[in-house]
Amino acid sequence: MSGRRVAITGAGVVDGHASGVLSRLLDETEARRLSRVCQMTVAAGRLALAEAGLAGGTELALLVGTEFGDMVSTIRFVDDYLQRGIPGLSALLFPHTVMNTMAAATAIAVSAKDLSLTLNVPTVAGELAIARGAAAVRAGRIEACLAGGADEPPQLVLDTFREAGAGADVRGEGAGFVVLEALDAARARGARILGEVVGEAWRALAVRPHGVGRATRSRAIAAALAGAGAASAEIGLVYTSANGDGPREAWERALLDEALAPHRPPQRSLSLPAGRHSGLAARAVATAATEAGAGLALVHAVARGGNQVAIVVAGPRARAA
Amino acid sequence: MKPVAVTGLGVVSPFGAGVKAYWEGISGGTCAIRPITLIETGGFRCRIAAEVPDSLGGSARRSRADRFALAAAREALDDAGIGRAERADTALIVGAVGGGMLEAEAWYWQRARGVAAPLPRALASCFPSAHVDVVGSVLGIVGPRETVVTACSSGAASLAMAADLVRDGVVPVALAGGVDALTRICFMGFNTLKLLDPSPCRPFDRDRRGMSIGEGAAFVVLEEVERARARDARVYAELTGYGMSTDAFHVTSPHPDGEGMVRAMRAALAQAGIEPASVGYANAHGTATPQNDRIEARALREVFGEGGLLVSSTKSMIGHTMAAAGTLEAVATVLALGHEVIPPTARLENTDPDIPFDCVPRVAREAAVEHAISNSFGFGGQNVTLVFRRGA
Amino acid sequence: MEPKEVFDELKTILVTRLKFDPRRAVDLTLETTLPKGIESSIGLDSLDFIELSIAIEERFGIAMDESADLAPHFTSFDTLSRFIASRTAGA
Repeated sequence: MSGRRVAITGAGVVDGHASGVLSRLLDETEARRLSRVCQMTVAAGRLALAEAGLAGGTELALLVGTEFGDMVSTIRFVDDYLQRGIPGLSALLFPHTVMNTMAAATAIAVSAKDLSLTLNVPTVAGELAIARGAAAVRAGRIEACLAGGADEPPQLVLDTFREAGAGADVRGEGAGFVVLEALDAARARGARILGEVVGEAWRALAVRPHGVGRATRSRAIAAALAGAGAASAEIGLVYTSANGDGPREAWERALLDEALAPHRPPQRSLSLPAGRHSGLAARAVATAATEAGAGLALVHAVARGGNQVAIVVAGPRARAA
Repeated sequence: MKPVAVTGLGVVSPFGAGVKAYWEGISGGTCAIRPITLIETGGFRCRIAAEVPDSLGGSARRSRADRFALAAAREALDDAGIGRAERADTALIVGAVGGGMLEAEAWYWQRARGVAAPLPRALASCFPSAHVDVVGSVLGIVGPRETVVTACSSGAASLAMAADLVRDGVVPVALAGGVDALTRICFMGFNTLKLLDPSPCRPFDRDRRGMSIGEGAAFVVLEEVERARARDARVYAELTGYGMSTDAFHVTSPHPDGEGMVRAMRAALAQAGIEPASVGYANAHGTATPQNDRIEARALREVFGEGGLLVSSTKSMIGHTMAAAGTLEAVATVLALGHEVIPPTARLENTDPDIPFDCVPRVAREAAVEHAISNSFGFGGQNVTLVFRRGA
Repeated sequence: MEPKEVFDELKTILVTRLKFDPRRAVDLTLETTLPKGIESSIGLDSLDFIELSIAIEERFGIAMDESADLAPHFTSFDTLSRFIASRTAGA
């Protein structure tokens, strides 16, 4: 993959079960005005930037992956109307009904003024946002970004998925970001390099909506490896999107087996037991980089419906320039 | 930066299905904003919108927005002559906000009123991401698929993201667009914010009182210029640059100086490698809220000066179609370049003295323009500017 | 309704609709100012003011005239309480 090298210089994750940290990271207006998922997103963004030692400004972009957006606030907005009529409608809640509300709140909170994109896709949203952010840094379209995801799964939707037979998986809530920036710029400012994103690709697999596919040929993994200039044998570790959805997990294993054959590097997942959320991708990328050491790791995710993301991560001691 | 060819267009608009009906409507200065029929509007201050006339067909099992998206996407692919085999390596990027929410709302409203309504299907397809899965699987598109939500600029952001994939060599061809059907949430929310005019909106008019909402879908086929030439495709225009910026100022109000809008426009011109003076037409965001139009005019003046730039608002005819707006307006811009006709700002009687531009009042204008921009701004201060050059 | 009663109602609205911490509402006085950016204010922005107007319309049964400049009435709890009291007395 030609273009600039992409450094990981910070990571911040706020899991729902550990959200006590929020009060420390938010100001009074944010605590009052922002919904829970927005608060978690803002807090994760602040943590990641603090680790990276990077400030906001016109050269900081933001990419937020999400599956559910702020559906919890959307349901509350509607319930207020159904219970109290027109006077019950809340002007403060309405902006939360649009999925970019977490990105908007975070951009304001950390002063991220370059592009801000919210990417909506089931279960692989965080990985997709990180892959797209890395590609944009690599191509020189942006200088630095917070990339990751956030979710607060609404009970109503989870119940409905379960009724429809598509919800055996374990969902959690939380938000997480990595800071990605051009390696040269990161070194120039003396930042600690946690690792590098050396290749990334995302593709669809032919399968019906919400379905699990049979095809095991994976263009995304091949493209990400090609971009990294790496052979499948170099991948020493894989973080998968395993989340308790049996058929989907079997499919993911088959995709990985075929793409990496004959090698079978160890596979791990961060989803259990607290549940998978779109912010975990940031933790997977940062952890994979740490564990890769002098080698390479693959962060992989595939969703029902066929969206697949592959991110090749190098450890901080790999390929020292 | 390497330009990208626009080789196919598809539209579902308040004028009906098809690019032809759309161009006839907007070049004729026709206003399609009427009393709402899709949802209950009793008690609300504004009760009008630009609805898509109900003649689209398509499976009733699909959401209204999915039907819009499928019809527009199919038209664009057919127009560009992208066959089944090529679609395996075509990207699909959709800007969306409401998803299948109209149907999910119907189910939820019934449930709240104690009517047993076994309709979990609607909830499973209520998210914006539903469109790419439906369009992708029905039309056989299995390149990268993405759904982008940047509120009212989503339909423009999708084109920018698709251009990235073509320029980076990830795919040779991309199908990009925006879609939204009317939803109760959108209608109630904008009413609550008092941003809606009870009468059809009047962008740039000194007496403007707010926006009108609308619905629709539009898609464009983007491909490598060399590839389009090699296969002798019709090139409507080239997407020569884009700029995206964020105000990071306020969730519903633009920065009072239009600072983020200016950055988006300048970044787009820089990417296209052209001077402001080369741009002859700006298809404005032009929502008709007092605030947007004043600040957008300020930003336009900052970038282009008070020269001969023609400015018009497609929303004066089809309302604000939310996530579809950025793409519908990009298509209007591309067609204006090709036809050498600038669509007007309908219902514009007295241009606001704070808006120092020729806003093409009521009647389309013949003008041969080489470069044009399309502006889209969204909640959260999400600004997107696209730059197009007339096709060779 | 007396301005004092109106003030108490406004404090309730602040907690229920504008999501202020109830402990914060206790400290408010009539002199406390409302708009963000001015001294010793509770920091309301444009969106807060829309929410506040809706809540006032609902609670006190009065209609806000959108064409009039109401900003002077929304300066402090004192000006707002007196404005609402005068409007409810006239109704």
